[in-house]
Amino acid sequence: MIHNRRTSAEKIFSRVTGKDVKAGEFVWAKPDLVYLHDVLGPMTIEAMKRIDNGNVRFTGQIVVVNDHIFPPKDVTSSNNEKNLVEFAKNRGWIVIPWGEGIEHTLLIEKGIILPGMLVAGTDSHTVTAGAVGAMGVGLGSTDMAALISIGKLWFKVPETILVKVHGKKGKFVTGKDVVLKILSILGTNGANYKSIEVRLDKECGLSQDDSLAIANMTVEAGAKTSIIMNEAVNKVRTDIISDYRSDYEELDLGMEGMVPLIAAPYLPSNVKPVSDYEGIDVDQVYIGNCSNGTLSDMRETAKILKGNHVKAGVKLIIVPATRNIYKQALEEGLIRVFVEAGATVAPSTCGACAGLHMGVLAKDEVCITNINRNFRGRMGDSSSKVYIANSYVAAASAISGKITVPGE
Amino acid sequence: MARIFLFGNNIDTDVIAPGGYLHLPLEAQKVHCFESIYPHFSKRAKRGDIIIAGENFGSGSSREQAPALLKEIGIVGVFAKSFSRLFFRNAINVGLFIGTYDSDSTFSDFDEVLVSFENEEIRSQNSVLHFISPSGIPKDILMAGGMINFAKKVIENEDADEDKLTG
Ligand code: SF4
Repeated sequence: MIHNRRTSAEKIFSRVTGKDVKAGEFVWAKPDLVYLHDVLGPMTIEAMKRIDNGNVRFTGQIVVVNDHIFPPKDVTSSNNEKNLVEFAKNRGWIVIPWGEGIEHTLLIEKGIILPGMLVAGTDSHTVTAGAVGAMGVGLGSTDMAALISIGKLWFKVPETILVKVHGKKGKFVTGKDVVLKILSILGTNGANYKSIEVRLDKECGLSQDDSLAIANMTVEAGAKTSIIMNEAVNKVRTDIISDYRSDYEELDLGMEGMVPLIAAPYLPSNVKPVSDYEGIDVDQVYIGNCSNGTLSDMRETAKILKGNHVKAGVKLIIVPATRNIYKQALEEGLIRVFVEAGATVAPSTCGACAGLHMGVLAKDEVCITNINRNFRGRMGDSSSKVYIANSYVAAASAISGKITVPGE
Repeated sequence: MARIFLFGNNIDTDVIAPGGYLHLPLEAQKVHCFESIYPHFSKRAKRGDIIIAGENFGSGSSREQAPALLKEIGIVGVFAKSFSRLFFRNAINVGLFIGTYDSDSTFSDFDEVLVSFENEEIRSQNSVLHFISPSGIPKDILMAGGMINFAKKVIENEDADEDKLTG
């Protein structure tokens, strides 16, 4: 029976399976696109070899991005990347040129991830695809190997949580604050196995980059996937979003009076107003990653840094998420602002975001950053502490050397 | 006899398999498993031991190293009130048994217990905890010993079906 009011997840899974499927059902589905990175990619090809000698039955697009440890930090990571590229080229997969950027931001920017697609990646932040109305689902390496070897994989069609955001955003408030607020309400597993669908009213005044930041961190509430409908930019086709139904789990979020927020160690859901932690000394400020290395973030950072200098003793590392964002930031003179302010501008890589390289925290160090996770040891030594906030807050804290409410 | 290692809520994948060592072979990563909250875990746990944890075990990343490391160390089962989606899938895929429970666990750290996967219970001298095993496709994958074997079977069956159609 065709039921005419369907969720976005039901629509997309129905299309790829050719059946009329409902939330909660187990299905075997073939995504339109899959992508692998340099940490789980090598494990994926090892598993593929064990399953079926590396044979490929998957007929959709396969993309490889070497972004996590790029440029390679040691012989092991360099060999991993070389082997992955060779394996991929031999099979005609799409290999993204070295250094183009962090996969989730990059594949959207390049138009490789498109609205309505079902996309699977070997990374939890594959949910970022929701920013353009694609359904992004993270997978581990053996799952990905099975998908590519068999040609399809089992999925459970997720239930939907609808978040309606309205009201005009205040000064120094961004999409980061919206998603931190959502996390503070749902907790770290409030959306486990589910799809979070966010509707941003036109009057919110949020950008496409804000949508990206929101989509990216829905996984921090456990979400399997996300769809962000931002009426101010209208990237997402209205036929993809869920049809109105009264039985959705719904959340209502007003932006009036919302202030910049911060997630204190060790959970992204441990959210308070920035003012609650004002004055805490920081050793490092990190601005970048797949959620907030966008051009908007570069502009917000430059706005605060212009004419100022980083506090003596503080490390400020700025990472444009893609080469293209880097180039635009160059053209707009933002990189000059960063360098003159005493920042280190690093190449587009995951790097310090996951404590991989290029900015790993030392014992007891405190970092304020606009990344997406603040788990124990996330960015380095297990005694280090990570606070998450938007780019304005991070940049303002770099100048004062303390957690700072911007504009004060 | 298995020994219990108790953990709380929201044990994330950065804690289980820290980022800085992910590119290394499992053998080299082992010593870093749980290092930020449970130093030397890999030396203290013995083959056959189990983990009992609270809500949202394995939250965070898609890194399969998390369940793979636990298995490598010799953990034969992780029991939690809930699992994050990716850890759940990854554990099943590497053939690490996971079970959920909803009553309160009254066990203490290092309690000696008997785990019966058949009866779905963990039993010590004075306490018992009932758990629920995975069902549906995840169960089939576990029964096959993990995703590698399961995928092989799926491919064999599909090739056989195709032969039938074309032959
Ligand atoms: S930038 Fe950070 S969160 Fe994003 S994919 Fe890379 S490691 Fe993961």
